[in-house]
Amino acid sequence: MLHRTEGIVLRTIPFGEADLIVTYLTPDFGLLKTFAKSPRKIKSRFGSSLEPLTRSRISFWGKEDAALPRLTQSDIIHPFQWIRDTLDCFLKVSEIIELTINFIPERDANKKVYSLLLNTLQAIENNLSSHIPSCESVRTSRTPLWKRDNSPQSPFSKGGFKGDYKEGKVVFSDENLLINHYKIKFLKFVGYAPKLDACGRCGKSGHSFYISHGSILCEACAKGIDLPIRLSGAVLKLYTDLLTWDAVMIKRIKPSDKLLSELSDIINVHIKYILAKPLKSEAFIHSITR
Amino acid sequence: MEQGIIENLITELTKLPGIGRKTAQRLAFFIVTMSEEDAKGISKAINEIKEKARFCNECFNITETKVCSICSSSSRDRSKLCVVEEPSNILVIERSKSFNGLYHVLLGALSPIDGFTPDRLKINELIKRVGRNEIKEIIIATNPNTKGEMTAQYIRELLKPFKVKVTRIAYGLPMGGDIEFADEVTLSKAIDGRREI
Repeated sequence: MLHRTEGIVLRTIPFGEADLIVTYLTPDFGLLKTFAKSPRKIKSRFGSSLEPLTRSRISFWGKEDAALPRLTQSDIIHPFQWIRDTLDCFLKVSEIIELTINFIPERDANKKVYSLLLNTLQAIENNLSSHIPSCESVRTSRTPLWKRDNSPQSPFSKGGFKGDYKEGKVVFSDENLLINHYKIKFLKFVGYAPKLDACGRCGKSGHSFYISHGSILCEACAKGIDLPIRLSGAVLKLYTDLLTWDAVMIKRIKPSDKLLSELSDIINVHIKYILAKPLKSEAFIHSITR
Repeated sequence: MEQGIIENLITELTKLPGIGRKTAQRLAFFIVTMSEEDAKGISKAINEIKEKARFCNECFNITETKVCSICSSSSRDRSKLCVVEEPSNILVIERSKSFNGLYHVLLGALSPIDGFTPDRLKINELIKRVGRNEIKEIIIATNPNTKGEMTAQYIRELLKPFKVKVTRIAYGLPMGGDIEFADEVTLSKAIDGRREI
């Protein structure tokens, strides 16, 4: 049976001589793995439509429950090429792509997650483009964004992306905010969001987060449980804001780098605990910042 | 015929990339009908490659000796270095007869999701090589896809202190292709990389 939908390429795995297994996130089929015949050949009809992050209109052929249906057509709707062409930005986006692949089951449609990913990618690209004089300069220049404003700060340096907000300069903290926003909203949509508004057992307020419970616990409920992470009121407020606001709106929030980093660390520890392993892309970023 | 022997050969052949059970079965029955000389030739070639093949100490191309024929050749232009992902890429570039410099094989490309970090590739060896040799230009010929592009960008950043010219192979339309069927990303790359004629 022939199916048609749209999707965002999350990952491609080489298979055989010139074939690919392409993993899409689609609104109608959820996470979808397809088999593409010969896209790695120079004259392939798929062209660049199977590159990661490309949003495309696809057709695939296979039985309803086929494990690996055959991709028959792929037309680009939007390539998100700017993100791919900016190494530091792509590395950050890789984290949320890996997160999505790890949490979402195959063939389980989740339109909210699809919209969230699409909106996040669009917001990141808009953020990149709003600080660049023209589209062409992004595509042609091989100079990474952190170098264009003569800033000595490199994303490879310890601590990652720490751009400033100044006229004509790139705001890397915006991208970090968008990435953290995605992680928090995504965890909420898939049912794994940490409970940070009140004690997970009795509902009383508290500031001690217990990784093993994925929740804040009050003093009475936490007796005999492992060591907690103390959270500041500002982190809890930022978490609530990110959980409720949309990707297009969160630019209004201007948290300090320290606050954002504090929240980011908690979310990453929570994700690592649930997955029982660290994200490979997170380890990758650490390896190049060493 | 002993089913055990043929079954064994089929199982062994399916270990090769792109060979499924049916193809392995076809190949196995073909080997049965082959002359003894040809069959022994294949077996000898496989044994030889496993015994003698190794990576070149300089460029990580596949070779029989410590240093490959390209690295040890005096007729090659030692001021140019072409960086490729796999040894098989060298064969293709050599066949084009368009490059007379030296090569460096990375043995892969960076991939954050797959955990392919820089220390798993021969990037440190490249940096050391650039530091000690008289290389003036480095042509990065990694694949024109996201992983290859990311690897190229990363290497370019690492090579900045060396003051060597770093170039990237051109992007665009394949010869014999038709603009009508090109996708927008390939076309935009082709237009960005246009040159005066």
